[in-house]
Amino acid sequence: MVRVGVDVGGTFTDLILVDELTNQIHVHKVPSTLEDQSIGVINGIQELCEKAGVPVTAVDYVLHGTTVATNITIERNGAAVGMLTTKNYRDILHIARHKKMENFSIQQDLPWQTDPLVLRRNRIPITEKLAAPDGRVKVPLNEKEVREAVQRLKDSNVDVVVISFLFSFLNDEHEQLAKKIVKEMWPEVQCFTSSEIVPQMREYERFSTAAMNAYVAPRVSKYLEHLVSALDHAGVEGELHIMQSSGGMATSEMATEKPVTLLKSGPSGAVLATAWCGDLEGVKNLISVDIGGTSADISVIPNGTPKIINPRDAEVNGYPVLVPMIDVEVIGAGGGSIAYIDAGGAFRVGPKSAGANPGPACYGQGGEYPCVTDANVILGRLDPEQFLGGDLQLHPELSYKAVEETLCRQLDMTVEEAALGILKIINNHMALCIRAKSVSKGIDPREFALFAAGGAGPLHSVDLAETIGCNLVIVPSYPGISAATGLLVGDLKYDFIKSHINRLDKVTPETMTSISAALETLSSEAQDQLLKDGVNPEDIVVERIAECRYAGQGFELRAAIPDGPITEQTIEIISKKFHEAHEEEYGHHFPENVVELITLRIVATGKTPSLALPKLEIGDRINPGEALMYERDTVFEVNGEIQRFPTPRYDRSKLLAQDVITGPAIIVQRDSTTSVPPHWQATVSENGTLFVAAKAAQGGAAESVEKLFSKVR
Amino acid sequence: MTINQANPTIVENKIDPVTLQVIGGALKTIAKEMAHVMYRMAYSSLIRESEDLGAGIFDIFGNTLAEADSTPMQLGCLPGYIRGFQEKLGDNQHPDDIIWNNDPYAGASHSPDVALCQPIFYKGELVGYAGATAHHLDMGGAQPGLMIDVPDVYAEGLILNGVKLYDKGVRNETLFEVIRQKVRTPVQVIGDLEAQVAACRLGAKRFIELMDKYGKDTVVSACEELMNYSERMMRKEIAKIPDGVYEAESWLDNDGRNLDKRLKVHVKLTKQGEELEVDVSGSADQVSTAFNVAYSGALCVSVHSVLRSIFLDTYTTEEEVPANEGAFRPIKITARKGCIFNPVKPAALFSRGNQVNTVADLIIKALTPVLPDQTCAGSAANLQFASYAGLDENNEYWVYIEVNEGSYGGRPGKDGMDAVDFSSWNTMNNPIEDLDMHIPLVCEQYELREDTGGAGRWRGGLGIVRWNRFLTDGFMTMEGDKHTVRPWGYKGGLPGTSANLIKNPDTTPEELPSKINGYRFQAGESVQILVPSSGGYGDPLERSPEQVLEDVLDEIISIETARRDYGVIIKERKIDLSATEKQRAKIRATRGAALSLYSE
Repeated sequence: MVRVGVDVGGTFTDLILVDELTNQIHVHKVPSTLEDQSIGVINGIQELCEKAGVPVTAVDYVLHGTTVATNITIERNGAAVGMLTTKNYRDILHIARHKKMENFSIQQDLPWQTDPLVLRRNRIPITEKLAAPDGRVKVPLNEKEVREAVQRLKDSNVDVVVISFLFSFLNDEHEQLAKKIVKEMWPEVQCFTSSEIVPQMREYERFSTAAMNAYVAPRVSKYLEHLVSALDHAGVEGELHIMQSSGGMATSEMATEKPVTLLKSGPSGAVLATAWCGDLEGVKNLISVDIGGTSADISVIPNGTPKIINPRDAEVNGYPVLVPMIDVEVIGAGGGSIAYIDAGGAFRVGPKSAGANPGPACYGQGGEYPCVTDANVILGRLDPEQFLGGDLQLHPELSYKAVEETLCRQLDMTVEEAALGILKIINNHMALCIRAKSVSKGIDPREFALFAAGGAGPLHSVDLAETIGCNLVIVPSYPGISAATGLLVGDLKYDFIKSHINRLDKVTPETMTSISAALETLSSEAQDQLLKDGVNPEDIVVERIAECRYAGQGFELRAAIPDGPITEQTIEIISKKFHEAHEEEYGHHFPENVVELITLRIVATGKTPSLALPKLEIGDRINPGEALMYERDTVFEVNGEIQRFPTPRYDRSKLLAQDVITGPAIIVQRDSTTSVPPHWQATVSENGTLFVAAKAAQGGAAESVEKLFSKVR
Repeated sequence: MTINQANPTIVENKIDPVTLQVIGGALKTIAKEMAHVMYRMAYSSLIRESEDLGAGIFDIFGNTLAEADSTPMQLGCLPGYIRGFQEKLGDNQHPDDIIWNNDPYAGASHSPDVALCQPIFYKGELVGYAGATAHHLDMGGAQPGLMIDVPDVYAEGLILNGVKLYDKGVRNETLFEVIRQKVRTPVQVIGDLEAQVAACRLGAKRFIELMDKYGKDTVVSACEELMNYSERMMRKEIAKIPDGVYEAESWLDNDGRNLDKRLKVHVKLTKQGEELEVDVSGSADQVSTAFNVAYSGALCVSVHSVLRSIFLDTYTTEEEVPANEGAFRPIKITARKGCIFNPVKPAALFSRGNQVNTVADLIIKALTPVLPDQTCAGSAANLQFASYAGLDENNEYWVYIEVNEGSYGGRPGKDGMDAVDFSSWNTMNNPIEDLDMHIPLVCEQYELREDTGGAGRWRGGLGIVRWNRFLTDGFMTMEGDKHTVRPWGYKGGLPGTSANLIKNPDTTPEELPSKINGYRFQAGESVQILVPSSGGYGDPLERSPEQVLEDVLDEIISIETARRDYGVIIKERKIDLSATEKQRAKIRATRGAALSLYSE
């Protein structure tokens, strides 16, 4: 079987190909084509297959992480959404939960008011009303109003329609009827209902999730359709799977139906890769730092398990999104981040980026602004002829010129000082983000290892580690394509949910039958989907979950539902599991209180084959001459002083297991460059993973690899 | 009264910057975790959905070390509660005690806000407190839910200070039984108290873990340094305004019994060097209803909160300034004994939101001339706090309490915020779907108040319309205000729209006063609450016609308002530019040259 992972970043499209027959791995990197990401994807796959000697037609799976949805929310250039909503509740999306973002601020912005997902003029009230607690019709849907509203939306050029009625989580009859009318009057428009997207109680969160889904849908589906036909055209017959925010994969059809699940597709890959590599190397606590051309994705992974944000807390740019998401933060800091002097005379770096085109000044593509990559070139940490394995020749003189002209004069600094300044500022941005995700949650980053991912990760990670007090940096075999590697270790995963509100103390035989039937329906829906996706029946795992609370409470906790039909015994087990979950979560439970079932959830996983890396031979050498390429001057700051060191370059592909490299050194590979400063050293595991540790390291994360450095102590 | 003091046991103890940040972050996380446990575990929607709760960690003097991000009104008051029971109990505090205080004359914000605190002991020594407050549905007072017109503080219900709900870890079953028999909604109240206990237990456990890890002295000196830092930041900001006296005043509708007597609120700020005194002594005398304000638990908290928002606005301040007591050290708050902000016991003081929000609005108003970029025009500055109650089919009480939000005045460079709580309130609304599922009260409407609010270069934020219908017979209490005062406009901006309360708007509409007390509704009857829309900032004739058109298309303002207030003529969804120029010239000519600084 041949699988290809493709991760599209803001600057580069990263690819990895695994041929399970020969157990060979091939990697590749091509510039991203942002106007149409699929062009870069197809080019990349074709070039990679050629390199690997595998015909394009032999690719069984294309596994894809995309930032298309994320970019829409960042650039605020989503669709014009039209919304039909219950009369007298037109402003649910504008009022939100009436809570300010900040407690102590008069000047703050509320994103749902300053940047609404649906303009008020496009939120059209419709006469209809369902009643709690059973969802019975109180006021029938006024179909004439629906027709008028659809006509109005059609005339006002909205791109997509969402139908959000109150209480639709209890009964979706009105939403479905309205959707039927939309489809009949306007067959070509995409139309979603709030209960299809997330059939859960709480109108604001449900409406907002549905509106966000609509907001990103037209561009995401256009992109995916385009990609599918381009793959087809290129002769790729394999399945296309897309990474979701949850860290599970979905087929392109499923992703098109619910694009709101892709908002964190891009950053999830590297997080999975980090956890996978940590598991492989026996390092439990990791901070994943994936630095690309445009942004850095940061995630703290304690105990080897990526954290999933509770859907009740999940939000994107201030909008709640009720879908499972990996906890990862994206900030504007990368190789293409532009350095400049602001109006007030302050030296700033990012978040503006030169992207891949024109890119940093040293690309020689007309970029005039100095970028982070230019600073690395000036300091001798990136060798012009080695970038991307020599595919992209860099022009150091242009880096010097850009820094000199735009920064040095105003800052009264030498070119080297300014370049070091650029790195310090950008590293500090990342350090602050890591602190916010660790220190501010009481997690001490000094006990964590930094996982250097992304093309620029290994260049920055040691400096960054010093800033936050970590003493170990892990550089995977293919750091430049970590996110793509993560795609290969992700399973297909879908959540199917249904509201089913019942007190568990008063369960009648009818209720038990109805719960069984609902679970049966959800499970077979999930099974069918995975079978349709090509998963072998024996690789399907279905988890059945009852989301419960004490009657009268507002928040649910998960209790596993035992296999088989629902009986009085299973109801008792669910109650018991819920009491246990309550005890574990809050340190308290109320054995005499009534447990209420709110939502049935099925999490269906289709296991995919795991990734096996070829083992390296043991070298056990110190600074092996066989891997030495050449020596060149490189600038480091040691004890506050800027110094030039003759610094050897090693070819990573020639390093063997247990080799030790003492800093200062630069380790070069096609997709990345690792900087090992003077008081740090590096070693290689049998899997090819590089560990970079402080020479004087004591305790902390470096403890776990202390042994590997024993020969240089 | 000393509100906070430096910890004298601290010796100058340099702490490394990374550890300082780690401990600061850990404290913040503990407070957040505590609040999380409460709103996830709680029963009453006021706590679990509206988040009318507070949680934090405090030093041995009651100084805040860290607090959760829930509503500020519940946060700044915990030090007062702690000092209140410390006075009562002295050394009679032990590990695993849970100490109760809801006495507004001993630090409580008002009597339904019950604080439970656990003294934290480390190696046998008291090192601090974990504390949690929550607004309870009922404390067995004169009427269910909220109250305005009651004779004294005793009528507010069960009020205790320094009584232990758990004594050295042993549950006080007698007290639980008293509550069970005394309050109208025992299941919710006891469930919510248990949630508070769980939060305290968790906070104490985490704080001890922190001391185990870093050592007691390091934690204590980190806490002190974090307070010093906040103090320095506040002093630096206060120092920027010129020394002098700044004043403003306004009126409250009435006290809930004497409906035609308005009550004055007067604020006098005296700034000298790095310090600021806020004096509200010029305000009305205390009243005979529950429309009085607890000095420490309500007035001080509200004043601190608005001063933090003005001087250290978290949106515009680049550095993160920890929310602790340090920031309040340079601030002195004075209220004459016997005035509405510092009543003499046994005056009732249940209903305090409108008064303290008015103080906050007046502080902003007094400072507008010297801090034009850090303030805003007149805001809703009220609190339409409503309680609904009735009996279900088993003749058991249901009680539902709802905070109806306000809005903010227009701001330098942007419109005012629509539909949010003002200043020291920042609760969440209760989802309509949750309400209708659980309480025999249905929401019939929840929308923006179209075509209201003050016009301006930057328009005042819009309030909301909330319309609720009783499904059983029941009572409603509304502690509202601002029926007779409009939010002020600034620098040519027009004043906003006042509040309204209408009974049965769909059948036989009847206007009710801003405060109603245990007012009876029949099943099927309904009430509509209209909260104020705020004042405008700057000359409306300077608002771009395009922005005015956007508002018209969104039905935020009418075509008529666009013409009358903004001088913008809109025809067939387009701007008529030449007619607009003429209209604007006409308005300029009629209104005269000088615009007043404030419009009321």
